[in-house]
Formats: sequence, structure tokens, C-alpha cells
Amino acid sequence: MTPPLHTAGSHPEVVTELLDDGAGRSGSVQLATSGDHKAVGRMFIATALTFLAAAVTLLVAMRIQLIIPEATIIRPAIFDRLLSAYGVTSVLLFAVPLFLGLISHIVPLQIGARAVALPRVNALSYWTYLMGGLTIYGSFLWRPAEAGTFALLPLSDNVFSTSHGVDAWACGVGLVALAFVFFAVNMIATVRLNRAPGMVWRRVPLFSVAATIVSYTLLIIGPIMIAAVTMLFIDRNFDGIFYETGEGGAPLLYEHLAFIFFTGIYVVVIVSAMGAISEIFSTFSRQPHFGQRTIAGSMAAFAVLGVLAWMQNMYSAPIAAGFLYFTMLVALAAVIPAGLIIFNWIATLRGGSTSMRPPLTFALGAAVLIIIGLAGEWAQSVIPVGRQLDNTMVAWGDTHFALIGAGVLGGFAALYYWFPKITGRYMGASLARLSFGAIIGGTLLMVIPAQLAGLEGMPVDVYEYFSDTGMSFYNLLSSLGAFVLAAGVLLTLVNAAASYNNGTEAGPDAWGGDTLEWFALSPAPPHNFDLVPDVRSNEPYRDIREAVRRRSTDLQLPPARTESAPEPVAVAAGESVAEEQAASEPDPEAAAVEAEPEDGDTGAEQEFGGTSELDYPEGEEPASEADGGETEADEDDGPVA
Amino acid sequence: MAGGLTPASPVSPGAEDTQTAYIVMVVISLLLAIALVGGLLSAVRGRGAAPEPRRTRGTSSLQTRVAAGLSVLALIVFVFGIVMTESSSEVEGTGPDGLLTAQTDLQIPADAKPLNIRVSGQQWLWRYEYPDGTFSYYEMVVPVDTAVVLDIESIDVLHTWWVPALGGMADAVPGSSNKAWFKADETGSFEGTSTTFSGPGYPVMRARVTVVEPDEYQAWLGTQAEGIQEAQAAVKAAVEDGTAPGVELETGGDSGEEPTP
Repeated sequence: MTPPLHTAGSHPEVVTELLDDGAGRSGSVQLATSGDHKAVGRMFIATALTFLAAAVTLLVAMRIQLIIPEATIIRPAIFDRLLSAYGVTSVLLFAVPLFLGLISHIVPLQIGARAVALPRVNALSYWTYLMGGLTIYGSFLWRPAEAGTFALLPLSDNVFSTSHGVDAWACGVGLVALAFVFFAVNMIATVRLNRAPGMVWRRVPLFSVAATIVSYTLLIIGPIMIAAVTMLFIDRNFDGIFYETGEGGAPLLYEHLAFIFFTGIYVVVIVSAMGAISEIFSTFSRQPHFGQRTIAGSMAAFAVLGVLAWMQNMYSAPIAAGFLYFTMLVALAAVIPAGLIIFNWIATLRGGSTSMRPPLTFALGAAVLIIIGLAGEWAQSVIPVGRQLDNTMVAWGDTHFALIGAGVLGGFAALYYWFPKITGRYMGASLARLSFGAIIGGTLLMVIPAQLAGLEGMPVDVYEYFSDTGMSFYNLLSSLGAFVLAAGVLLTLVNAAASYNNGTEAGPDAWGGDTLEWFALSPAPPHNFDLVPDVRSNEPYRDIREAVRRRSTDLQLPPARTESAPEPVAVAAGESVAEEQAASEPDPEAAAVEAEPEDGDTGAEQEFGGTSELDYPEGEEPASEADGGETEADEDDGPVA
Repeated sequence: MAGGLTPASPVSPGAEDTQTAYIVMVVISLLLAIALVGGLLSAVRGRGAAPEPRRTRGTSSLQTRVAAGLSVLALIVFVFGIVMTESSSEVEGTGPDGLLTAQTDLQIPADAKPLNIRVSGQQWLWRYEYPDGTFSYYEMVVPVDTAVVLDIESIDVLHTWWVPALGGMADAVPGSSNKAWFKADETGSFEGTSTTFSGPGYPVMRARVTVVEPDEYQAWLGTQAEGIQEAQAAVKAAVEDGTAPGVELETGGDSGEEPTP
């Protein structure tokens, strides 16, 4: 596809250079070599969803072993391999990269950028992440790590883990952390440099704010983990003594470094989900954010406090009381930003006119699970409580509530929400309902009995428990819940795969959102926007619709609901341009681009598209010049025709 | 070993403080979660038919008031947490029914009279060393109503000492010593388990603390010491006879120094 090109001249907002999107190469080569942030985002999302399938498989295998007490279905060593892969797969290879993919694809569109600042660094980030994931899974061909979720020292040193599995684990995790740093560098540069005219910080959409916070967090915690696993690698292979007791090193050093990283990753997943949930709540209640700046500031505060509270999981370690009190203070203080965000969500929804579409359903489920998980984590921030529950299935349950809420339900909410922008098609709504029910029901059924088993004294990471401890029934229920959860996850994966080519077509403005990504075509062309509008509020697309409506008043548009019915305007404009183009310049590609909105209307939802193009008098072409995106198209016709 | 919806019913003052903190925090966080989830779900219920959104935005004074309320909550819980932590980690003196002649090498007030036991974690067993040098594995025997101070360490990887009825967890870390204490109010056996992943034998790394009357404890120490001496004598004899399987008697000559290249 050849997008329209212009020399800049007196129009600096007009694209002057076409990014090399690999055009001319075919198929997968084009995708793999593309510097386009949208292609990189799609690859991130697809890879992350593949690793989600792997994570779910690992979870199901582990829960099969735990159905009955003292089971011998899976050998202990095999179980420990599954366990060691599960933690990094579910969080590092699935949850964070899914959000990074969405950020890479959506954030430049939201801030009105034509491209990311460092496209090759962005692509490098994806490939580094993929290599990290393959390194971890490649070790399954030989002998993977058996040193547990975090590979804590001294168990992971070369005395207690003699195979090279831990080396593969360390290299893989290090590569993934490096990929996160690359990603953060590019995204920070992009949001700082490439915002549309008028897009000052207070107008940056909340998902982009979350992306910025996430990027800064990754930029800080990523190098810490790279250092930690590098020292681990040196200790294991080159007689290092970083973590060697009695040689001046300390195993607790690794625990601190690893927990800073993994606590930060937990925060990254939750903040990303909070950004996406905020956007979804606003769009589907047709409300502005109740407090956009409050949510933005609270997300930043939550990230800072969350990372600072890394010792919240180390209350039982030999650490001086003062550090633990500081940790308790910041962990408890995190209730302030988290509570403020949820309060603002409630207030946003309360005054709104909500429509229960799949993204909203998933976002509500995500919010509920995040609340439960964070409340449980908050209770364990009190030192005596933490010392009694840390590393039991109670703590496991709270972590899973928060991370399934944020990563799976929140990630899926964002996926359902932006899938039409990414592919031009909606994901199926009935499969979505089934999937949602299975995920939330399965999660509750898996976690609550597991937490009751935790109160009976069941620790995390065990491959067996004993029939005399009264946990058998709880574990049976928990395993059943895990199977239901897995089925629910697979339903959405199937839904995404099936809808990619066969879903109902969506127009550019799939849900009536007020942020700029809906102003671009679906899927967006390589240069994103023909013309970037000036941003004058935190609802730029709403302003564009208002302007269109004002200029069209003489057409006697129905007064109600037109402000949220952008499709007919866009369609009318697009259609007319397409017709003009078809008449004057029979370029099939250009016609295909411009005809996109017309297809979108057939798939557009009637709730938002209450009017159709038939409401306009015949022959009228309302607002074709008022709609910024189409104005550019008009200009294109000049030199061509 | 659990007491319904709470972790193990406590039999030590520190564990009672933990229990109190647990119940208070569960109630507060449950109320908070119910309020927030309820608010969220009620906000979307029945709003589908609303013709037009209200398009309300919050004022900064409202946001400030909400933040102030949450700050007060966090501050109260923080103070409560410090009080409970201090109270649960303060070693209480041995009671009148306890072992008043307990030996210790700790510098602790004379009236406390705690019993000092070294707890050593290893894959995948706990070893307990009593003040008189006697030791035991897996099962620790202690006198009732006696302050027991544990010095917890590990000889290999990370482990966690945790007997829920007697208090919170304490990590066993190689190279550093961790402290825990309890004073059992009643006799009986209390189960515990390690909660830090330590390799293939991790799930079987369980512990048991058996609380007995002081005179029973003294008697147990005696039999345990005798048993150890007998066993050691038997092993020594077997080694000297050359009948011990897999053990070769070291002669004086080649023991000790390694040849230096």
C-alpha cells in the first residue's frame, strides 16, 4: 500500500517521509522487517497470546498433579520444571508483553503520532523478547530449570542446580528484561517527542499515561534484573562470589534484586490494566473521566509505592525492623492511589449511559478481581499478617486474583476494545460472554478453595500435599476451577484467531471513543493519520464530531445522539471522497483505503450509530472538509487528479 | 490445624497477636473490597437505559477529601501494624508452670529464663540443638509455659520455619541467623511446614513441635542423650570393626592435609 506523500512546505503536520514498512517484501518478511509500531505491536500481541496458551497448559498440568493428595501423576522433578517455567511465562512472557503490544500499537495513535521515535529500537525490543522466551523454552529440549519461580539463591547456584537449566532461565529472563528496557526507551522518547500539536500532558489519554508510567518503571527495574541474572550467571559459570555466603556475598542480595524486578512487573501489569480499564469505562458509559488528572497521578503514585514495597514479600527474612516498617508504610500507603482510582472509576460509571459490550464486561471483571487481589495484598502488608500468610496458598491466591484480573481479564478487555482498531474487525460477542463467564467463574473456583487450603497451612510451589491435613477437597475444587479458567482463556484465543479474518467489520470509530486512535482508519495506514488535528481538550475526537455537527446544523441532523454518532459523518465524507476518487482516479488501492469507513458502517453498532447515512438529504456531503482526516484526502486529490 | 477461616488457633502470645492482626485486617480489607466492588457493580446496574450521560467531572476538593480519608485509614492501619509487630516479637518471660531452670547463652533479662534452641534447616529436614548439646530431627520437644527462643539458620538453601499455631514465619538463610520465639500455653503436638521452595523434597519438609510438661521434657532430654550416645558408640564400633557399610576408617596418616601441588 502506498500512502499519500507530501512535501512539508508550510504544512509541518503533513507526513513528509514514509517509514520503511517493508513494502515490496511479501507476507511474513514484511511483518518481520517492519519498523511500523503497529506491526511490532501485532507481533507482540500474537506472541504473548501464544505464551498465554503455554502458561495455561503449565497451570493445568500442575493442577492435575494436585487433584488428589500424595499423587504421583507427574514426577517431582518434572513438576518443578513446570513450576519454574510457569512464573516467568505467565508474567514476563504473557502479561507484560500483551500490554506492550497494545501500547506499541495504540499509544502512538492515541497521542496523534505518525510513528514512534525509535522504530528500530521498538522492533529490536520485540525480537529480544522473542529470543528470551525461546531461550527459556529451548531448555525444555535438554533439561530446564528446576529452581522454582524466582530461582532464589543458593538453590539456583551450581552446587544445588547442576544442570544448565538455570543458565538458560537466567539468560532468557535477562533477555526479556533487556527487551523491556529497549521498549521503554522508545516509548518514553515517543510520548515525549511525538505528541500531536496541543496534546499537552494533561490531555494525554490515560492509557498513554499508563504506558509512560509503565515505561519509566521498566526502565528502572529492567537493568536491576539484568544485573541480578548476570551475577547469577557469573557465579554459576565463572566462580563468582556475588551470592556466595562466607566469601563476602549474600544470597539475600539476589532475593532483593529479583523481588524489586518481580514486584515492579506486578505493578506494571496492574498499571497497564488500570489505564486500559479507565479508557473502557469512559467510552462505554459515554462519560468523560471523572478525574483524569487524579487517575493519572494516582497511577504514577501507585507505581512508585508498589516498587518501593518490594520487601513486602520478605517479612520473614532476617532484615532489620526499620526496613520492614518502611516497607509496611509504603505498602499500606498504596491504598491511597489505588482507592482513588477505583473511586474515580465508580464515579465515571455512575453518571453514565452504559452499554454492556464485551470490553466493558471484561473491564468490570478485571476491576473486581484487581480490587479483591489488592485488598488481600494490602491486608498482608501488616507485618504479623504477612509473616503468617506469605508463601502460603493465601498469598498465592491474592497474587493470582490481581494478576488474572489485570493480565488476563484486563488484557482481554483491552484486546476486545482495540481489536477493531488493530484488525478492522470486532471479536465475536457471544464467544466473549462464554469466555468471560468461564474465566471469572474458573478464577473464583480456583483461588478461593486454594486460599482455604492455605489457611490449613498449604504452602506454595508444592507438588504434593498430604491427606491428613484436610486440604484434599479444597484442592479438588481448585483444580476444577483451573480447568474452567483454562477453557475460558482458550475461548478468547479462539475468538481472536477466528475474528482476525472473519469478524464483523468495524469502522474507524468502533465504539464511539473520544480519543484520537478512533480518528485513524481501522487498521491504520503506515503513516497513521493523513492529517493530525490540533488537540484542544482531552476528548479530541469528540471535539471533531462537535465541529462537524456545528457545520452541519443546516442539514437538520437529529439533535439527540449525533455527538456520539460519528460513523455516518465519516461515512458520508469517506463515501463521497471515494466516489470522487473512483470517478477521477481509478486507483484501486486508494479507493480501498477510502472505502474502509463505508464497510465499517455495516458492522458498526447501532447503539452508537443511531443514525445512518440515509438520514442525510440525498446529494449532500456534510462536513467533508470539517473532518480532518478527510480534508487531507481531499488535498491528496489535487496533485493526483 | 486451622481454626476455620483463620490460620491455626494460636497457643503462644506472639501467635495470638498475629491472630488479632489477621482478624482486624481481614475485616477491614473485606469491608473495603465489598464497598468498592459494590460501588462498581451498582454503578452499572440499571444504567443501560439512561438516555444521556451526565458528563460530570469531579472537583479537586472532592478528590482531596477522598485521598485524605484513605490516608487516615492507611495511617491508622500502619500504627496498628507497628503495635502488633512489636507486641508479637517481644519475648515474654517464662511462666510459673514453665521450666524455671532453663539454660541459655542469650543475654536476656534474668527473669525471662528462655530456652534457647538452635534450629538448622537442611534439604529437607529440620535439626534442633538443645542447650545441653542434645539434638533431634523433625520433632522438637519443648516444655510448656516456657519462653523458647529459636536461632534459625540453614546449612544449604533457603528454608522457612513456620509452625502456624506458634507464630509467624522466619526464613532460614545460610550465613545469617534469624530469630523467632514462642511460649506454648498448652501441651500437644503442632504441625508446621517449610514455605520456601527448596528443591525436589520440599513438600515433605515438615516440622512438628511437641509441647510437654517440664519434667517430661527433662526426661525426654535424658533418653534422647542416651540414645544418641548409644547410636554414636555403635557407629564408632562398627567403623573400628570395619563392618560399617560404606565407611572406611581413616588412619592417622592421610587424614587432614591435602597435598599441595
